[in-house]
Amino acid sequence: MSATEIFHHRRLSCGAEFAAVELPGRHTTSFQLRFLTGMVDEPVDKLGLARITEETIAKGTEKRTAQELSDAFDAIGAQAGSGVGRETIVFRCNCLPEFTGEALALHAEMLRTPTFPQEFCDVAIELGLQELKAIEDDPSELASRMIAPHAFGDLLGRHELGNAETLGKIDRTAILEFWKRNFSTRRMQVTVGGKVDVARFADEVDRLFSGFGKDAAAGQGDLTVKFTPGVHHHMKEAEQQQILMCWPGVAVTDKDYAVERVMLSVLGGGMSSRLFTEVREKQGLVYWVGAWDDHPKGSGMIFLGASTTPVRCDLTISTLLREVDRLSEDLTAEELNRAKVGIIAKTQTHGDITRARLGELSGDLFHFGRPVGTDEKNARVEAVTIGDIKRYLSEHPRDRRCVQTLGPRAMEGVTK
Amino acid sequence: MASGTNGFVEHVLPNGLKIVIEPMAHTNSAAGGFLVRTGARDEVPQLAGVSHFLEHMCFKGTSKRDWRKITNDFDDMGSTYNAYTSKERTVYFGWVRVDDLEKQLELLADMMRSVIPKEEFEMEKKVILEEIAMSEDSIERKVYDLMHEAIYPGHSLEWPVLGTKDSIGRLTRDELHGYFQDRYHPANMVLMVAGAVEPGNVIEMAQRICGSWERRSPRPERSKPSENKRGVRKVVMDRFQRQAIGLIYPAPSALHEDRENGDVLASILGGQNSRFFWNIIQAGIAPSVAAGRLDYCDDGMMIAFGFSEPDRCQELLDAMRGEMEKVSRGGVTEDEVQRVKNAPARHWRPKPSALLPAHADDQRHRRLRPAAQRHGAARTARCRNTEIDTSLFGTLAADRRGCAGQPRTARLAELRD
Repeated sequence: MSATEIFHHRRLSCGAEFAAVELPGRHTTSFQLRFLTGMVDEPVDKLGLARITEETIAKGTEKRTAQELSDAFDAIGAQAGSGVGRETIVFRCNCLPEFTGEALALHAEMLRTPTFPQEFCDVAIELGLQELKAIEDDPSELASRMIAPHAFGDLLGRHELGNAETLGKIDRTAILEFWKRNFSTRRMQVTVGGKVDVARFADEVDRLFSGFGKDAAAGQGDLTVKFTPGVHHHMKEAEQQQILMCWPGVAVTDKDYAVERVMLSVLGGGMSSRLFTEVREKQGLVYWVGAWDDHPKGSGMIFLGASTTPVRCDLTISTLLREVDRLSEDLTAEELNRAKVGIIAKTQTHGDITRARLGELSGDLFHFGRPVGTDEKNARVEAVTIGDIKRYLSEHPRDRRCVQTLGPRAMEGVTK
Repeated sequence: MASGTNGFVEHVLPNGLKIVIEPMAHTNSAAGGFLVRTGARDEVPQLAGVSHFLEHMCFKGTSKRDWRKITNDFDDMGSTYNAYTSKERTVYFGWVRVDDLEKQLELLADMMRSVIPKEEFEMEKKVILEEIAMSEDSIERKVYDLMHEAIYPGHSLEWPVLGTKDSIGRLTRDELHGYFQDRYHPANMVLMVAGAVEPGNVIEMAQRICGSWERRSPRPERSKPSENKRGVRKVVMDRFQRQAIGLIYPAPSALHEDRENGDVLASILGGQNSRFFWNIIQAGIAPSVAAGRLDYCDDGMMIAFGFSEPDRCQELLDAMRGEMEKVSRGGVTEDEVQRVKNAPARHWRPKPSALLPAHADDQRHRRLRPAAQRHGAARTARCRNTEIDTSLFGTLAADRRGCAGQPRTARLAELRD
């Protein structure tokens, strides 16, 4: 597949880092503007500020009202969206090639000349407070919010909504200050893919963003995950118990990242995976069970999760742990190969979605500082051996883990 | 083989199995799946949830494969696969590298000939009871079910797709097997394929794989729901922090000539950049309010639904009703309609020239499902957009064919704590 991937990567004169992947034959263009700022840059007494800023930056510019800006995107059929993360805020757009220039210009207008109208700032804070309460109705999200500080530490484990006290301290001045301090081309990564004239797009980025954020602060350096093992339970009336557990893994850039991917695929990659098979198919303990990883820059965390009725919770937890242990004992070549095929095949199927391929490029630029070809990644996956997985598991044992449960019954046996 | 001007190819095998194909030359992959025209509304009360249970059991064993081999074979291809059940259909699909398409279709077809293994039945019942328990913790799911209970009392559209703890607890393997034999035959199924395929090859594959399936008569027409109920339903559930409101109005069915107009109106009311977004969400009343059209083959509902804090529920209700009244009185503007036509979800160019064929096979495949089931022919975005008649909107919102209706006809399904 990557035989048709042609990458470009350079620092633009406006200061932004730029990468592109040409994907011949595609019918759309997809681009991302990633700012190297996020929840980690929030003042500790104003948690939730990054998301409020991301919400309100689209609520009017010096030339357009909020609704006029939305209408302008709709007029060209551009699918624009944004999201706030721990370390980055990303603006994404998917559009027809002939409208790429207009879509990019609208983003530049939005990011460079936001007016942050007072009424929209007030509403964003009010809605944030309401959404905080709404999380109580989402047991899975609530459990994730609760385990994050234990998994990543107080800084990287922040939740995008902050809390009621800190949201209450956010005002328009704080929003404006966050934007001025953290949005600049020096902290901007631009990626584009699909059907696009790369040189022209890069020139447009230079022209539209030249001089943006000259007075902004430098970004934070590498941030360190502060993992705290332990067992936590949150009592809540519900039909099911939520179970989450985690322990440190490796960074995306680590030599063992491919080993981690294959290990996770064996454990929870499909309906033939060990967790699905042992927890659901053989014992009927759950409807949902999974294994995944999460990666702040320079680090990683392995997660297992499931939800089940309270009476089955202890057995579910012990089965989850047993299956991790068993990987070191009886992993077969057949399972290993299946996991590899699954990862590699999905680079080809999901890679057919332009915005998905572009999202991967954007992630690579953030983690690796360069585009990484599909072939390069797949070769690392192909090279993984059973011995590699055994070694990985011994070097990243599940023993020192954090467990978060949520539901109507405190757990027994989770510390075993 | 019928090759329409809309880019789809349709064919019917001698045994009655319909095939709908969308070739997408620019991709590297292909998605395929079977749509079975059976769902919760095709059940009887004592078998509530059987369609969904059957969906699970089709992964549990065939004459050639046990459950482990079925999932191994999917994962050996690196397939992205799954299945789902709704009120009117059950769908099984897989998305693979194009060279694996025949293997994928053979596997899915084998599942459509499930033996419903007895030894797996009780274990899978436990899984489904866990799924029901999980849905009990979801206010969104509760609202969805409550709205159907309110509108279709006594009709099979009322029953939850998952069934209930009681109905699933009582269900026997033989009952499920009988239902399966009655529903999973060519006249009641559609094979859908999208991707880097040559239609003639797909039809040959389908003939090889499914050609021996016994030809059967189509199932009888579904019973149409009677006049929808009106009124107010309230359910108190202390477990949830939020309060949910659903306003439900008559709307065009899936086959009604005004169906596209109904969808456009729903987008104008409650999509992105919509009236609800600017006048309710951005007024700070509630963070989550939307509108949509639920369409069945012979009936439809326009639903406006929102979630708020309990002490703002009345404010939210008034705001939602206010917007419905406004659209009933004043219709919509040309600009609003054009904005919806431009939206990427409709895969439409702002210029009336061509289709945007850029999204990958899984997206296409997803869109093929309702089209293949209900309309007899797949429809492109261009086809769908040409069905939009802006001159209708002034009256559409208010008259009896309409999408919004008068507020006095509103039915309210409400969850509160």
